[in-house]
Amino acid sequence: MTRALVVSFVLAAALASYAQAPPRPGTAAPAGNVDAGKKLFASVGCYQCHGYEAQGSNATGPRLGPRPMAFAAFSRYVRQPSGQMPPYTVKVVSDAELANIYAFIQSRPDRQKRFRC
Amino acid sequence: LTDFWGTVNTARDALVRTSRPIVKPGTKLISITALDLATKGNYQDFQRYPEVDIAMAADAEATLPALTEACKRLLTADRRGALADRAKRLAEAHGTALERARAEAAYGWDATPISTARMTMELWAAIKNEDWALVAESGIMSDWTSRLWSFEKHYQSLGGSGGAGVGYGAPAAIGAALANKKRGRLSVTIQGDGDFLYAPGVWWTAAHHRIPLLAVMHNNRAYHQEMMHLQRMANRHQRGVTTAHIGTSIDNPNVDFAKIAQGLGVHAQGPITNPNDLGPALRRAIEVVKRGEPSLIDVVTQPR
Repeated sequence: MTRALVVSFVLAAALASYAQAPPRPGTAAPAGNVDAGKKLFASVGCYQCHGYEAQGSNATGPRLGPRPMAFAAFSRYVRQPSGQMPPYTVKVVSDAELANIYAFIQSRPDRQKRFRC
Repeated sequence: LTDFWGTVNTARDALVRTSRPIVKPGTKLISITALDLATKGNYQDFQRYPEVDIAMAADAEATLPALTEACKRLLTADRRGALADRAKRLAEAHGTALERARAEAAYGWDATPISTARMTMELWAAIKNEDWALVAESGIMSDWTSRLWSFEKHYQSLGGSGGAGVGYGAPAAIGAALANKKRGRLSVTIQGDGDFLYAPGVWWTAAHHRIPLLAVMHNNRAYHQEMMHLQRMANRHQRGVTTAHIGTSIDNPNVDFAKIAQGLGVHAQGPITNPNDLGPALRRAIEVVKRGEPSLIDVVTQPR
């Protein structure tokens, strides 16, 4: 009972390292609604690769929050991604909706556990 | 038109996949696997047919200790020194990677659905002092076990189906647990929810024959790999972006895996949605397994 599975979604390594960079001056995100962003994060499928908490996965998509890349770069990547991530154009996610998603990502909790070595 | 899309598009649905060999040219390759004893079809058993110099049909677990010792006997003093240096560098790199993985695991630690990192570490805390073996891992979980656990014995990881198979995990785990029973090992499997549904009757077999196995479910309530594929295709076509779950999710109603397992005679708990409930559930399950019976914990998890 074997069937072939499809390839994993893997974002570019550059995005993974850039995702946690501090926002650059002058690139403030537009105001967004966290609750609306949470719903969108699920309904348009972001959670599938990045997890419900945007915590990421090494197999499918990197962690996005709680300190995402600057909104301008975030928006550019979502619209025209590289690697295996599918594009989200304004036709399916408007700029206002993307701002909501960004607000949700920013609102995610920081690390919740400190491991003892 | 019989194919409207094909008439107005030239793009491919599937993205191109490429591969390249990563061994040095001229390297002699030898495979040791019992799969060669039961080959039915090239694609089904191998997916990609491996190109090797010698295909040795043998049991890998029985072979590996002797092979390791044979390789050690061939080492010269110079090579032993070089390998010791390499081992030191690898140990340092491993330590760095482990710390990085632990840092990543801490995000979403208290989340519901439960993060796969949390589940992996709760399971590790419960088994690490036992003579354990991870006999199958049919849930795809961000490689957390290999990133966060310490595999020190050759029998502690039996790998997967070999062809990204769904439906392999449960029967494979129960078979391996039967083999481990006489060795007194604690057999552990991470059981995918979709995988469970392919051949649930094997849990009756485990109960009937009293096969000790600790099964912890990675229940993301979906055939999630397929869901991600549909999402990707929907986005590329700019339609159906919010409907990738149709035919790929396993919810509405949610499957009560614990109840199914109980009905088949297996001790089972869940569905567990609070990560703080995991540790106690694992301790109860291990008590059952140590009595010589299978035990299953249904854990509702993040997708990956």
